[in-house]
Amino acid sequence: MARGVPAAVFFGLAALGPLVVRDAFLLDGLILILLWGATASAWNVAGGYAGQVSLGHAAFFGLGAYSAALLGTRWSLSPWIGLLVGVLLSTVAGLIIGYLSNRLRGPYFVLATIAFSQVLLIVASRWRGFTAGSEGIPVPFRPGFWTLGIADKRGWVYLVLALGVLLYLVQQYLERSRRGYQLAAVREDEDAALSLGVAARRLKVVAIAASAALTAVCGALWAQYVGFVDPFYVFSVDLSVRFALAAIIGGLGTALGPFLGSVLITTLETYLRAQFGGVGAGLIGIYLIIYGCALVLVVRFVPQGLVGWLGDRLRRHGLAGTAP
Amino acid sequence: MSFLSISGVTKRFGGVVANRDVSFEVAPGELVGVIGPNGAGKSTLFEIITGFYRPDEGEVRLEGTRLTGLSPDRVCRLGVARTFQKLRPFPAMTVLENVMVGALTRTRDVRHAREHAREILERVGLGDKAHAHGRTLSTGQRKRLELARALATRPRLLLLDEVTGGVDQGSIPGLVRLVRELHRDGLTVLVIEHNMRVITAVAQRIVALYLGEVIADGPPDVVARERRVVEAYLGQAYAQ
Repeated sequence: MARGVPAAVFFGLAALGPLVVRDAFLLDGLILILLWGATASAWNVAGGYAGQVSLGHAAFFGLGAYSAALLGTRWSLSPWIGLLVGVLLSTVAGLIIGYLSNRLRGPYFVLATIAFSQVLLIVASRWRGFTAGSEGIPVPFRPGFWTLGIADKRGWVYLVLALGVLLYLVQQYLERSRRGYQLAAVREDEDAALSLGVAARRLKVVAIAASAALTAVCGALWAQYVGFVDPFYVFSVDLSVRFALAAIIGGLGTALGPFLGSVLITTLETYLRAQFGGVGAGLIGIYLIIYGCALVLVVRFVPQGLVGWLGDRLRRHGLAGTAP
Repeated sequence: MSFLSISGVTKRFGGVVANRDVSFEVAPGELVGVIGPNGAGKSTLFEIITGFYRPDEGEVRLEGTRLTGLSPDRVCRLGVARTFQKLRPFPAMTVLENVMVGALTRTRDVRHAREHAREILERVGLGDKAHAHGRTLSTGQRKRLELARALATRPRLLLLDEVTGGVDQGSIPGLVRLVRELHRDGLTVLVIEHNMRVITAVAQRIVALYLGEVIADGPPDVVARERRVVEAYLGQAYAQ
């Protein structure tokens, strides 16, 4: 089986979705699967390919979401401009975090990323005059592509599908290109990579900044799709964990993994919310327990992620070739 | 002008002096051995030449270009490659990919790098292992992989840290032959070696370190008989 086939099947099925399905609930699920898959992919650029595990990526997601929302509400600017601004802000923030990654290792780096997202949460929730504080801000709906006011869910499917394919291609680049090999070397053994002429520090910073920028793109589109930005959601550690979880469950440092992880996590969450959402505070947090169990099971039984597991399965059934 | 010049290099770690005023030169095309008992400062000197450590005093120059103060990747791009005493193949990569990382320092083209890596694997005798994973190799094969990776960066100066250390007796002659061939093809080589028989057979010149200082520098047979070297290795009783 050729390398790109599983991805072609996955994105092909997603593209066929709106032609077959009319149900708004299912289309919403498809949109979220693709969107969260794209976000987990953006996380994967730093966490998987560069080996810089962050639990603060909600910071970049939130920067994207807030940029699009605030520029739209305060100055009536197009969300596309907001998206660009979010990307710029996140790139700068990513460069700072990337610089930190050269000073802090392992758990200390993870803690720094969490702290960073929490600082942004505090700013966004307290700066009432500008961000509307903890109430959050509604994103105005203005019909048209330039204003990203797409009423038809099918339109959104194709928009986030394009985003998903873009993120997939970015990851493919990281698997096959010169930079990709060098980044993998840095991840595996930084000193050995340095001794072979790889500019390890710069490469890590660039990877983290790129990951941040791509996460901001996802955040900006998400804000337009959902229509409301709540600081306690977009800057939450929960959200950061979800990006990481989807990538880890799907397969760290694989291009299709984050999307497969997203299929699992997004459907699970949607289902749980529908089941337990209204029952009362007692069960609302149940998804955290289930995430935890899912993570333990994956790390214990399929440490290479769903992609690795599926690849093994396919090979065993005589379909030669490598996992996507 | 000398090819590699090490002048007045001193490196302290707290109160321990790992290198004290180390100075020597290496001529182009020379194969120089660095010997000394454990803790003599051989590996520290390598780390300083390759930019992993910064000396407290002194400097290292390659054909007049100052290496001291440059990052390890810059030093590599200037033509200095090294192997590590503790072998460190990239575990998730195949043997070929390991070598490609080195090759990609000299070319932007992945296909070129792959071809170059294949040629080098053939040369070090790992041609049939291209698609194996680093962790499945024997120690001797890993040494060859380290060597291949370093060679792929097209070095002018090669630093080898313990080529035969930890390798079974049967693999030693092959590795020694390989180093000799590389040297004969024009590479300047600086090699740390514990095995005296290997080093005296291979090196044109030996620099002996003891407690961070150069205690002898000359042809192998002379250095091996030098009183201070024998003392350093075996203790004073044997030096009579």
